[in-house]
Amino acid sequence: MESTVSVSKGVFLFPNGYKKGKSNKKKNNQVLFEKIFRNELWYDTYKQNWYYIENELQHRPVKYRWGLLHIHPPDGTHHKTHSVLLNDIVNYIKNHGISESSTLEGIIPSATLLTGVNQPDHVSQFTSLIDLIRNEVTPHVALVNSQDAPSVKHLVENAVWQLIHGDQVIDYDDDEGVITQTKKLRKSQCTMKALRNWYNTKCMSSPRKKKSPQTKRTLVIIIPDFESFNCNVLQDFVMIVSSYVSTMPIVFVFGVATSVSALHKSFPYHVSSKLLIKVFHSHASPIYMNQVLEDIFLTHTSPFHLSGKAFELLTDVFLFYDFSVTGLIQSIKYCMMEHYYGDNTKSLCCDRDKLEDVIMQLTAEDLENIRQLMSFRPFLEKQDCKTKISLFNDDDFFKEALYKEMNRLHDYLYSFYMCLRLLCVFVKDLPKNMLGKSVREIYTKCASENVTGTSAFKDCLQLLKFQSQVKLVENIKSALKIVNSYLQNASPVKPLRSTLSKNNFNNITLSDDLGENFVKSLRVHLLTFLRQIEHANTETTITMSAVSDSENADENFPGNRYKLKEKLLKATRLDRVQSEFEMVRSRFVSYLEEMFSKGLQPMQGQPFHEVLAFSDVASVRKNIVGAPRAAVHTALSNPVHYLQSIRSPQMGPSWAVARCGAPEDIMGCRRSGSKSRSRNDLCSCCQLPSSDNVIDTLPDVCLAYKLHRECGKHINLYDWLQAFAAVLRPDDDDEQRHNDPTIQLRFTRAVAELQFLGFIKSSKRKTDHVMRLTW
Amino acid sequence: MASGGFRLRFGENHSVVEDRNETESPSRRTTRIRSKPKKYGDFLDNSPVKRRNYKDMSSSEEDSEINDEAALPKPTALFTEDDVEGQDMFKFKSRHTKQDLQNKVKTAIYSPKPVDSPMKTPKKLQSLIKVSQETPKQVKEIMRKRICNEVDSDSADSDFSGSSSDFVPEGSDHDETDSSSAEAASSSEEEVEQPKKVVGKAVKGRDNKAKVKDAEYYVTPDNYFIMHSSKKIATSDHTLARLKNLNIDENNVDDIQISAEHKEIIKDLNHSYTQLFNKWLYVLSENFNIILYGVGSKRSVLQQFQKQKLKDFPCIVVNGFFPSLTIKSILETIVIDLLENTNVPSNVGDVVNLIDTQLKENGVNLFLIIHNIDGTMLRNAKAQSILASISQIRNVHTIATIDHINAPLLWDHTKLSKFKFTWWDVTTFVPYSEETSYENSLMSHRSGALQLSSLKSVYQSLTTNAKGIFKIIIEYQLENQKQNYQGLPFKDLYSKCREQFLVSSDLALRAQLTEFLDHKLVKMKRTYDGSENLVIPIDITLLQQFLDQQTS
Repeated sequence: MESTVSVSKGVFLFPNGYKKGKSNKKKNNQVLFEKIFRNELWYDTYKQNWYYIENELQHRPVKYRWGLLHIHPPDGTHHKTHSVLLNDIVNYIKNHGISESSTLEGIIPSATLLTGVNQPDHVSQFTSLIDLIRNEVTPHVALVNSQDAPSVKHLVENAVWQLIHGDQVIDYDDDEGVITQTKKLRKSQCTMKALRNWYNTKCMSSPRKKKSPQTKRTLVIIIPDFESFNCNVLQDFVMIVSSYVSTMPIVFVFGVATSVSALHKSFPYHVSSKLLIKVFHSHASPIYMNQVLEDIFLTHTSPFHLSGKAFELLTDVFLFYDFSVTGLIQSIKYCMMEHYYGDNTKSLCCDRDKLEDVIMQLTAEDLENIRQLMSFRPFLEKQDCKTKISLFNDDDFFKEALYKEMNRLHDYLYSFYMCLRLLCVFVKDLPKNMLGKSVREIYTKCASENVTGTSAFKDCLQLLKFQSQVKLVENIKSALKIVNSYLQNASPVKPLRSTLSKNNFNNITLSDDLGENFVKSLRVHLLTFLRQIEHANTETTITMSAVSDSENADENFPGNRYKLKEKLLKATRLDRVQSEFEMVRSRFVSYLEEMFSKGLQPMQGQPFHEVLAFSDVASVRKNIVGAPRAAVHTALSNPVHYLQSIRSPQMGPSWAVARCGAPEDIMGCRRSGSKSRSRNDLCSCCQLPSSDNVIDTLPDVCLAYKLHRECGKHINLYDWLQAFAAVLRPDDDDEQRHNDPTIQLRFTRAVAELQFLGFIKSSKRKTDHVMRLTW
Repeated sequence: MASGGFRLRFGENHSVVEDRNETESPSRRTTRIRSKPKKYGDFLDNSPVKRRNYKDMSSSEEDSEINDEAALPKPTALFTEDDVEGQDMFKFKSRHTKQDLQNKVKTAIYSPKPVDSPMKTPKKLQSLIKVSQETPKQVKEIMRKRICNEVDSDSADSDFSGSSSDFVPEGSDHDETDSSSAEAASSSEEEVEQPKKVVGKAVKGRDNKAKVKDAEYYVTPDNYFIMHSSKKIATSDHTLARLKNLNIDENNVDDIQISAEHKEIIKDLNHSYTQLFNKWLYVLSENFNIILYGVGSKRSVLQQFQKQKLKDFPCIVVNGFFPSLTIKSILETIVIDLLENTNVPSNVGDVVNLIDTQLKENGVNLFLIIHNIDGTMLRNAKAQSILASISQIRNVHTIATIDHINAPLLWDHTKLSKFKFTWWDVTTFVPYSEETSYENSLMSHRSGALQLSSLKSVYQSLTTNAKGIFKIIIEYQLENQKQNYQGLPFKDLYSKCREQFLVSSDLALRAQLTEFLDHKLVKMKRTYDGSENLVIPIDITLLQQFLDQQTS
């Protein structure tokens, strides 16, 4: 009997040496996990990079969570700027907490924030709100989730406790920890009365208050998930609070996911009349997603890049499934984990400054792995014979070349992302949105194919040729802003450390110069074009008429029809002559084309792009978007898919590798396997010409499953059994089948398993019938 | 549309196109696209006024598609060619005929052993292959059958009383096939000329219209309701009572059903999953949780994982399939048994916070292994939200398995985001022996093995007198089996018992009977004339079997 099977117990504890008293503190905590992966280059790099991203995310939380409107100024103070929305709410709380509650008796000012349905994201949104309120308005903030407040009693206790102890704790997450240690007030003692007493003693008479200009301090109660609350609980709570509001300034903040009508629906008139509701709209989550993506992931500073396809997958999951930015970030994290997992060559995917150290640490084996990369081949073919040989034989030389190429790759990314943004600036306002409106959309196009070759791109340029002067100037100005900001945080290529022998790596041909120089020249070009366009004359007629005037002067007599005709002809021709602006514009557009075709080459073309860009979509897709139903169906209708013999000589190793989830593409591997495999590699007995076929060697569940798919809503167990038996023993007659207990047993088990899987259930409608649950 | 990964195809004759992802993650947005229903098209066709309009629309199909695309952004990377066709999984048959099952079996028995397995070929190809592989003889035979059916059971359609079996065992028409096979051999040339399409249809059943529809995934609401409106069950009246040996002890047969080859392969398959263990640990350490799906019991895989990798960590194993599992018992195990507190706070939020802080304080990582997080007792919002909250804690790492096909419906996106699952296909093909052991299976329930054994054990604990009384009731019931069995009148029972010297007084008999009543072995029914009748609420066949066992 196994240790986890019991007829009286469903939960089993394996302490595995854990004892509460024993202080296996922090040290253990970290090491336990990391001891498996510690000392692995890739793991360290992964950790560092993820911390970097996490930091980035946390440093600008306020800005992101609140879908801000300020474009951050280039002086780097952007995380100080709060969104208009957030400031509005805080101001509202500031003002209403004090002034109006005194004028309107028993009425609670309440800010209603329409948050949208992506509830997973709201947690961070509200934490940033609390932070801001704590900093700017009052330390007394309470946030009560619906799960903590099943009844009014709990709600009041929670809220009051947090209000009273709010000033001692900085962060909400920690304050629950404080409960156990410093028991100031037991939860059961927390009532509104206690709150009032506390407020009167502490706030009215405390000397601290003198410092603040206000005589009272507002108490803020935040209800983040309004819809999940029991209406009656909230109604009672509002009524209770409204009776206290004359003595204490209390402000509500409701987070409403749907619409304001939810508020009106759940509060009858006598309750809602106690509320002074002001509605705030937060931004749609796609905007938030675009912000996060543009500022953190679609930059050259991001340590890790997603290929077009992978990126598309993640944004699709966001747009079509959950609308949750938190989820998106988790998916990106997962991609990143997958990218690094078990592959030391991926440690090259790091900060530019560390590149050198990492290359020095790579072993010969790692270098060999890098040589195996697909993108190494085209790179190799460009080199001359001697270089080729030394690339293969001389590890030092290879390292040097690698360093150079990696730097080039970083340069490439640098100019790529800049060009991406420039393209976005020029293209986003064009009609039809052929390339898309946001950086994210344009990225998917640019990363996966050579965008300058597409017809959409050509159409866009065509449209640019019709743009007005004002618009063009505006666009160029904003493009210049981007270029300038890029130039500011560009990191120059440092020469390789002298320990590496100065080989003749001039032999290695570098395709084109990208990076800072490219951007600088771009800036010069943009500036000149800007000047030219600004000063360009739009009116052709004036200059040309001056010329014709001089002609007219000497031939100014009437009646000459020939002359008149000629003049008209000239006039038509003159119209076609471009104005100065038009000429500059067309030159500008062709410059853009040239520039983009240089800067926006797709990532696949770059040597060693695999190191920086994650592209293994298939395996990640399976793990991020599970397919349980499809797996069950495949297993039951075509068991061969899973029952391939793993140990067969030719298939064995590669399949095993794919299984262990190493960087190879699991699906791809299996797919290629399925093409190449011969009959010997499979469980020879159950190959099916199509998934509809039935043969006797199938596993019993599969057989029963296939037979049951032929039935209607109700299945007669007896007939089903007979069919089952007939397939297994086609030669027996009825009588023999009836007597064979093994078949009956096998059938019984198969039916039980199908029931367990949820395909059938028992039915009382007719004896010995079951009901199908699928159709 | 430029990228090849896009999978949702919608033509005019699909009214609803779904892909598999819709069922997988309930919380997620459905990728359902409504195109104009067929009915609407018919209506337009019939009404002369609007006809032109409609024609224009359909003639420029390309245009309308482009328009649609502009209106609806579509996922590009979500669906790939590897996906299982939704049509495969959710094949909707508007009408199941009695011949379906029979035909299936027939093709299974007579078709030659298949040679290749082009599993990944597109649907169209598959059907072609299927068709071409059928032997002419068999086709002929089926055609013949079909015609016969058409002729002699035209009325069967309207009358669903269904006295004939869904499945007619082959033996009964062996001679038929023999005679037809000769015929088929002689006219095999003709057979070749026959269009293949017809052949394909012939296998499916009788109703031509229905067959054409079956080929496509095409559900009209009407069809659905027609299928479900009929109160009558159109299956045969056979019951399991026709079987000779109804009750077989289930426990003594474990391995007979798997061939040696399969056994070997399944072993290898399961072994291959051990190579994922390191990765799982890596994923768990990054604060993701793991969910395993796929056919077959995943207990052994998880047990190995626990044995190999989690030796040094506190683990809690939850059997979600355990029928009297409560969420409270899980919480108690964590809070009281592991963290050694005295009681569990009543509020969920408090519990979660308590676990969180105590685990953090002690610097310990707890592994929560949940076999069947979709188990019956965990199938409610409250249990799942508690589990989600616990799984969300940084120091708690959850590994769960699901088996039920609708399991993903358990989680809305708030819960999903708390769970942070990564999905792993761990198809093992290992029988669900533990998982289904608690459940009373449909078959064994019907065959009453459980009832019988409980009956036996109660019976064995009775005194000889009581046994005698019970036997009298059984025998009477067996002798008087008819449609409306009223039960054995108490007075008759008393007199019979007296005859056999089992009881001496009315009161003593009543005392004996209370024991039966308490064990629900016997039911007391009061008739309207005031007399009491005794009925054993157990199937006649079972009783007979029980009696046979006792006497033998």
